[in-house]
Amino acid sequence: MKRQQRIFCYLMVAPALLFTIVLGIYPMLASLQMSFLEFDLIRVREHGTPFVGLRNYITVMQDERFVQTVINTVLFTAIAVSTVVAMGLLFSQLLSANFRGRTFVRMLVCVPWFVPPVVAAAIWMWLLNTDRSPINFLLREWGWIDTNIKFLTDKNTWGPFSIPMLSVAAVRVWNGLPFVVIFLLAGLQSIPRDLYEAAEVDGATLLQKFRYITLPLLRPVLVVLLILLTMTGLGHFEINFIMTGGGPQNLTNIMAVYSYNEAFTFFRFDTGSAASGLILILTGIICVFYIRSQAKAVGP
Amino acid sequence: MTGIADTLSTFVGGRARESGPSSKADMMTKAVVIVVAGLLLIYILLPVFWMLKSSFQTSFDIRQMPPQWIPSSFTLSAYNDAGVLIPIWRYLFNSTLVSLVASVVATAMAATAAYVLSRFRFPGATTILTLILVTQLIPPITRVFPIYSIIQDLHLLNTYTGVIIAYVGFSLPFAVLLLRGYFQSSCPPELAEAAMVDGCGYFSAFWRVVLPVSAPGIAAVGIFTFLNAWNDFLWASLLVSSGEMKTIQVGIGDFASEGGGITYVNAFMAACVLATVPALIMFIFMQRWLVSGLTAGSVKN
Repeated sequence: MKRQQRIFCYLMVAPALLFTIVLGIYPMLASLQMSFLEFDLIRVREHGTPFVGLRNYITVMQDERFVQTVINTVLFTAIAVSTVVAMGLLFSQLLSANFRGRTFVRMLVCVPWFVPPVVAAAIWMWLLNTDRSPINFLLREWGWIDTNIKFLTDKNTWGPFSIPMLSVAAVRVWNGLPFVVIFLLAGLQSIPRDLYEAAEVDGATLLQKFRYITLPLLRPVLVVLLILLTMTGLGHFEINFIMTGGGPQNLTNIMAVYSYNEAFTFFRFDTGSAASGLILILTGIICVFYIRSQAKAVGP
Repeated sequence: MTGIADTLSTFVGGRARESGPSSKADMMTKAVVIVVAGLLLIYILLPVFWMLKSSFQTSFDIRQMPPQWIPSSFTLSAYNDAGVLIPIWRYLFNSTLVSLVASVVATAMAATAAYVLSRFRFPGATTILTLILVTQLIPPITRVFPIYSIIQDLHLLNTYTGVIIAYVGFSLPFAVLLLRGYFQSSCPPELAEAAMVDGCGYFSAFWRVVLPVSAPGIAAVGIFTFLNAWNDFLWASLLVSSGEMKTIQVGIGDFASEGGGITYVNAFMAACVLATVPALIMFIFMQRWLVSGLTAGSVKN
């Protein structure tokens, strides 16, 4: 009987396992291996793919554009994650209260969820078009600015920050907000109501309740959320690629876009996979911590 | 008016209260939250409104300065133009086909795997689950190059089959994790055990009892995997990049990079509306279920 059960289990899990290994685990390792080879698609016929050790990593690290790209990736992730979590906390608090029209407001907040990232990028490109942007029009009308803001093309920088970076980050926040709100709403449901009632009896203000009940009890959920968002943030691709392609002057370039361009614009699969190898290492470290913490939380 | 009063008194945390002293500090907090949330709602909704509005304008009206907030005339010509400039209908067909097939295949594989992973302890189960979780969590850009080579070696570039294979691999981990949570929370083990007492084997208990009972969850995960594939740009841009075979997302992305997004803005926005509608329909279907079932499970796990 026990044996029969085992056979059943392995048969049931086999197709999914096969696909996970062939299209998930193996390509990750193969990509990592590729980053230690010379792999120039144009010369691969006569040259082959000799092993070159860490040369590709050294090459990209010596590329000033790539160093800037790594900094951009970290900043993009930091800006987008912190903003989206702050907004998510606000809306999830609001939507967990009972008020008339709550379902309607929740639906409105979720609107960006069903907008595909490419479409989100496309709409915002039009909305942020320097000469035709209604935002620029209003700001001029109110006398707040004299010349149109070049949302996606301004080349001025303040340290590592620039207007295009903030604009693209705003689009990523826009597209990611509904998921965060729903995730936090689900987390809020796990906080016992009587805690708030007890606090009310003691005359706690809203801010105190948020600070001393909601935040501490939401902590595990927030930690999971931050980890998930950081990993997707570090590997993000679509919105930056469509909106700016990394420009102007590399100001919005991120590691995934750099890697994609190395491989499919310049046919350098080696430096491309070195760039994505760095993403793999960074997210892999976070992933190990995440799985460990989850195992601890579930296990005995 | 009670609506507003309710809103004000029950806003942040806590449930509706008929009365009760509301301190001055609380009123301030509520006012600030309402104002900020209101401004953020504009940020959330303006782009969608702008897309819809632009798609119904003529290419002359759309360039008016000051911009027309409410179009002076409604026209469907942009949708017509989108069909000519971008072969939008063909792309929509491609997207629907590959997303549908990928979703059915991935959900079927995920359902069998998720069931045994949620119910039975067998050697290797934890390892398998970890592999699936790792594949889900590590961003896809770290595995595109070898997969591109695999699909190329199989001579499946620019075919539906090639991109469907990639989508199944891409969506499967997520589907397994969601369905595993669903089986754990919403499908009591007694059901299958009862069926087996009645003489069913392991598989027929799964097939005849567990699957029908779990239909809503499986359908929702199916919709999820469909949307995953529908929204994808990265895989499709590599695997089906030429002519007639493009998916709608690649069609829109390429149109943008060729400058069409500036020259033919209204057609561009019409294409964007059409690329969003299927997702919208599915979203409405699953909205209720999403908030209660799936996310609760995924948070717990």
